[in-house]
Amino acid sequence: MKYSTMPERREGPGDPMPKPGPTEEGGGPRRPETGSPEKDNLLKRMKKVDPKQAERYRQRTGE
Amino acid sequence: MRLFGLETEYGITREDLPEVDPVVESMELVRAHLTASFERRWDYAGEDPHEDARGFRVSGLAQDKEEDEFATRDTHRPFSFHDMKSDLVLPNGARFYNDHTHPEYSTPECRTLKDLVAQDRAGERIVQRAADRRNTSLGGKHVQLYKNNTDFHGHSYGCHDNYLVSRAIPFPRLIAGLLPFLVSRQVLAGSGKVGIEAQESGFVPGRFQLSQRADFMETELSVDTMHNRPILNTRDEPHADPKKFRRLHLIIGDANMCEYATALKIGTTRVVLELIERRAAPSLELEQPVAAVKQLSRDIDLKAVVRQKNGSSLSGLEIQEQYYRAAELTLAGLDEETDWVLREWGETLTLLAQDRRRLIGRLDWVTKLWLLETFMQEERIGWNDPWLASLDLEYHNVHPERGLYLGLEAEGKAWRMTAEADIQRALASGPADTRGGVRGLCVRRFPDQVKSVQWERIQFGGGLLPRTLHMDDLFEPSEVKRCLAAFEAAADPMDALNTWNGREDSQS
Repeated sequence: MKYSTMPERREGPGDPMPKPGPTEEGGGPRRPETGSPEKDNLLKRMKKVDPKQAERYRQRTGE
Repeated sequence: MRLFGLETEYGITREDLPEVDPVVESMELVRAHLTASFERRWDYAGEDPHEDARGFRVSGLAQDKEEDEFATRDTHRPFSFHDMKSDLVLPNGARFYNDHTHPEYSTPECRTLKDLVAQDRAGERIVQRAADRRNTSLGGKHVQLYKNNTDFHGHSYGCHDNYLVSRAIPFPRLIAGLLPFLVSRQVLAGSGKVGIEAQESGFVPGRFQLSQRADFMETELSVDTMHNRPILNTRDEPHADPKKFRRLHLIIGDANMCEYATALKIGTTRVVLELIERRAAPSLELEQPVAAVKQLSRDIDLKAVVRQKNGSSLSGLEIQEQYYRAAELTLAGLDEETDWVLREWGETLTLLAQDRRRLIGRLDWVTKLWLLETFMQEERIGWNDPWLASLDLEYHNVHPERGLYLGLEAEGKAWRMTAEADIQRALASGPADTRGGVRGLCVRRFPDQVKSVQWERIQFGGGLLPRTLHMDDLFEPSEVKRCLAAFEAAADPMDALNTWNGREDSQS
């Protein structure tokens, strides 16, 4: 998979929804590390999905 | 008055069973949240979905034939309506319950987008935590939850956004101002879907579309929510002083995984309501709004145009641009959050037209499309491959080790509006500037004395007579803070009510 075109993230002073720095525990925006081994993790996760999962998935109508 | 909230019905399944009973599973899931036995606290007296904002009352709500048959069987179940609902009021002021066949998390009322996004994410954690506990008791990871809106077999469930609006705005003005905006809002807030469905009519694979809900929109206006679904729901259930306020209850929206999409969906809608209140919304009138919802959803190139009654045609982006320009002209500089919405709305529309790949991690439909297209190239499969619907479903799984969106987010590839600390705060308490915060505080401080709860009131027992905190007009942040202070300082809720009501007496 190619993750080289991931979006840039902007940090703006006075932003009412300030985005935490990269060292804050538990997340916040981090620049994508394209080319890191992580990229294979998502592909592995996708390949693990059972192709018939949606066929089996049944719900009742909600609102 | 600025106040909004989100209700999300989650899809639920058991992977160890050939057939799942969603009523029982949803009930068991909600109860798995509890560490003690269930006690009924929710007060249903204020709930009446039969009142129509157009000035009449309906005798009943419509549901499709299949659901009619299910409902008949449900009446013979060995538990009561209240046991089935298992309504919980949480320490953050949220409501968590079984909305008949789906676990539903309703955020507490929020005044800021940041609080709303954090509360929405807290909801994901709460339902998943309940699933973890349920799975522990079942002895395997059997229960899975999906924050989406379809089962790919013609059954949809909702993510409703709610806004407190002034009753002084005539309802026809709200309708006229909102319809074109809601028809086109999916270009920002659609969660994306593989294939095409219709109510009770199954699923046609192939073709990616912008929205999960578009296929299920059947009329412009209706009080119904399960059948004949409307672009604009006319339910008149204000959960506030009905002389002053109405609650705009929108059922057209998709459940979003991207925090940015949630913020933009609610932020732009709130801005458009502000435009309508100031009589500054653009004058647009679509010829066939229901057909337009589907037409725009099924064109991922965003080139499709829909006709107006005056004969001209507009694309979804052009409709959004007209609203954006009116908002920029009228509301720029109003406050920090409005400016944030305007800036991000404008930039998103530009990027959708010019370079939408830069919106990966921000908008769900763009993110999902990118994931699926990349996977299709990798696996050399086409849009008709059933694997894609399964991947679409798994994008919305809220299990951190399975969900595709959550996997993307864990890799730092999603635009975050919250930090983990924000979500932890939202799990612990409601917003400090809304009545949701008061509700949460009462649940935390006086769990044994809270007798019943509704959105607009809390009844306390423990004295000679039950007493009630009325919150149907508690919206000014300064008043909310005074109310919170009274309930934080008091030794018991009766003292708090005396302080709070005494303050009102001294003001009158």
